[in-house]
Amino acid sequence: MELNISIRKKLPHFDLDVSFSCRKSRLLALVGPSGAGKTTIIRIVAGLDRPDEGRITYNGEVWVDTDKNIFLPPQERHLGYVFQEYTLFPHLTVARNVAFSADNNEDVPSLLQRFNIWHLKDRKPDKISGGERQRCAICQAIARRPRLLLLDEPFSALDAVTRQNLRQEVRKLKRELSIPVIHVTHDISEALYLGDDVLPMVGGRIVRKWMVQFMLKGRSQERERFTKKMDGYGSRDRRDLSVLYDSLEVMQ
Amino acid sequence: MDLAPLYLSLKLAFVTTVVLVIVAAPLTYLLVYIRFAGKSLFEALLTLPMVLPPTVLGFYLLLVMTPQGNIGRFWKAVTGVPLIFTFSGIVLASLVYSLPFAIQPMKAAFEKIDRRLLESAYVLGLSPLSTFFRVIIPNAVNGLAASAILVFIHTLGEFGVILMVGGSIPGETKVASIAIYEAVEALRYRDAAMMCLVLVPISYLFLLLIDRLTRRRIYGT
Amino acid sequence: MYRYISNILIIGFIILGYSLSAIAGERLLVAVAANFILPSGELTEMFRDRTGIAVEATYASTGKLYGQIVKGAPYDVFFSADEKRPNLLEEQSLADTPFVYARGQVVVWTVDQALCGAAGWQAVVKNPEVKKIAIANTESAPYGTAAMIALQRAGLWNTLKEKYVFPQSVAQAFQYAETKSADVGFCAYSSALSDTGKGGCFYTVPEAPQIVQAACILKRTENRSAAKKFVTFMGSPEAQKIKEKYGYR
Repeated sequence: MELNISIRKKLPHFDLDVSFSCRKSRLLALVGPSGAGKTTIIRIVAGLDRPDEGRITYNGEVWVDTDKNIFLPPQERHLGYVFQEYTLFPHLTVARNVAFSADNNEDVPSLLQRFNIWHLKDRKPDKISGGERQRCAICQAIARRPRLLLLDEPFSALDAVTRQNLRQEVRKLKRELSIPVIHVTHDISEALYLGDDVLPMVGGRIVRKWMVQFMLKGRSQERERFTKKMDGYGSRDRRDLSVLYDSLEVMQ
Repeated sequence: MDLAPLYLSLKLAFVTTVVLVIVAAPLTYLLVYIRFAGKSLFEALLTLPMVLPPTVLGFYLLLVMTPQGNIGRFWKAVTGVPLIFTFSGIVLASLVYSLPFAIQPMKAAFEKIDRRLLESAYVLGLSPLSTFFRVIIPNAVNGLAASAILVFIHTLGEFGVILMVGGSIPGETKVASIAIYEAVEALRYRDAAMMCLVLVPISYLFLLLIDRLTRRRIYGT
Repeated sequence: MYRYISNILIIGFIILGYSLSAIAGERLLVAVAANFILPSGELTEMFRDRTGIAVEATYASTGKLYGQIVKGAPYDVFFSADEKRPNLLEEQSLADTPFVYARGQVVVWTVDQALCGAAGWQAVVKNPEVKKIAIANTESAPYGTAAMIALQRAGLWNTLKEKYVFPQSVAQAFQYAETKSADVGFCAYSSALSDTGKGGCFYTVPEAPQIVQAACILKRTENRSAAKKFVTFMGSPEAQKIKEKYGYR
């Protein structure tokens, strides 16, 4: 199971131009400052936006191919998507939200229990906390047994403790699901904690694929290579890059 | 007091409301969610009955509803009976006349729905049609109710258009507002006052109901 | 731009001057039943040419004008389409004794050429091809009342009941017939003689009573002598000719 992406899209302030792939049971973290084009990528993968040109394939199945004018609508991609916030259906209870498009309704109770929201099953989304809402959103996304899971800054609206709890849940989940997972965040520590691969993004481009295991060992050459890579960037992007790199060093 | 015109008014308002809510919901969907060429022209056209003098609207309706007019001819070909001066005729006139009043509250309610909810539904595998019924409609219930009530009282008080196309046939097109007008013209002030006495509290009650419905808050705002 | 503004100013002054002169001269405000609109225009013009008294007419249905007068509208003379309302005004001491100024006649009128050339009005309304017959409101519109009486006298009122539509006024009855919303209409003879009316054909209805149109000088008038002059003029032979031209007697 492998997702291959190679897309270009003109955005108001820069051109998005990325290629990467993601394999099953691996979590790919896209990390970068807000406005780097991360969410646009994830929306294109979900089928909510269209690239100007490019190709997306999943296990050999073509989702997008602008040359051949192929575009698979989001309904047929069969994936799970967890948004930042407010995407639970307000008119439905927690249980009904999770069952909304569940593959098998019998999965619902065990999912609710696993994510510790069983006791909230009959409440409406506006009667539970932000963390509980995101747990519910994750349940909703995986209840339909998706082929790919997309997480778009799912923890950014939560407090630090709740965020840490949920990160641990996602890390466990990743191993169990055995599907590719793409996680978008602006938080470098979150990317390094969750990601098997970390793709730093600035100004619509992926700077360099960091293999996390190498990074954590720490390599002094990294910064040098990194600086060379910065030649093609404007001053604002250079600043963003340095901030990214510095925060990485702090982590180590 | 002759109760037939009041009954007829209520019947007209009820039928118009049911049909119009069903017709206006997809039209509103079109206006809020679909991008197409000439949308603002289309929207202005749908709002036109709100600003046109009812007599002007009634006059145009009269022209198209006669057996020679486009709609009148079509209706006669399909149903075998003429459209003008019938109950169906005044229903059609009321539909046109009240259409903007159905669309406005619905539009406000649809626009209040977070677009990410629809995207979430698409990603979860729902077609736009199922999304309409399973996500948009349940989250716009208050708006739908407000628009139904508004259409109901607006039709109850309709006068100018029916005056033009109704023909005041007792039991068929002689609704309360026409009967009141005729009573005043014929100097039967007592009858007119009695009918008004029934109409005013009904309208007032429904207005209060709208206020309650539209004031309630929706999750997430 | 300046020329544009100055043009407007000039036109404005002309209108202002004209209306000032009208106020300075004698001026009558009359309320006229809508069916009498065509002869009224010609009559008031002739009256102004003769006497220099300007007459400003307001046209509306008799019922509406009556309502306005009862509530104190500042008219000098009221030309009704019936006798009932002028009599009512007299009873309330709002008007002088009414007098008859015109007699109208109800006719059956149609634009459908297939219905022209029938033996008479009864044959037309009984024709099974005729699905809708427009009759002005039988309570408030005098022409509607007259049509109803004619149908009753001919023994047809109940048998044709399914075909009736009831427009609010005789003018609307004519409109329904003219737009073919109704196949035939009981209209005013004056409508049948109008330019539009000549596009169709009409049948006289001898069974229908004449519509006696009465007028009255209102007590509140501040210009009684001019009002009296106008009333006298309305009865003169020249005025009679104009009324006949438009289908009144």
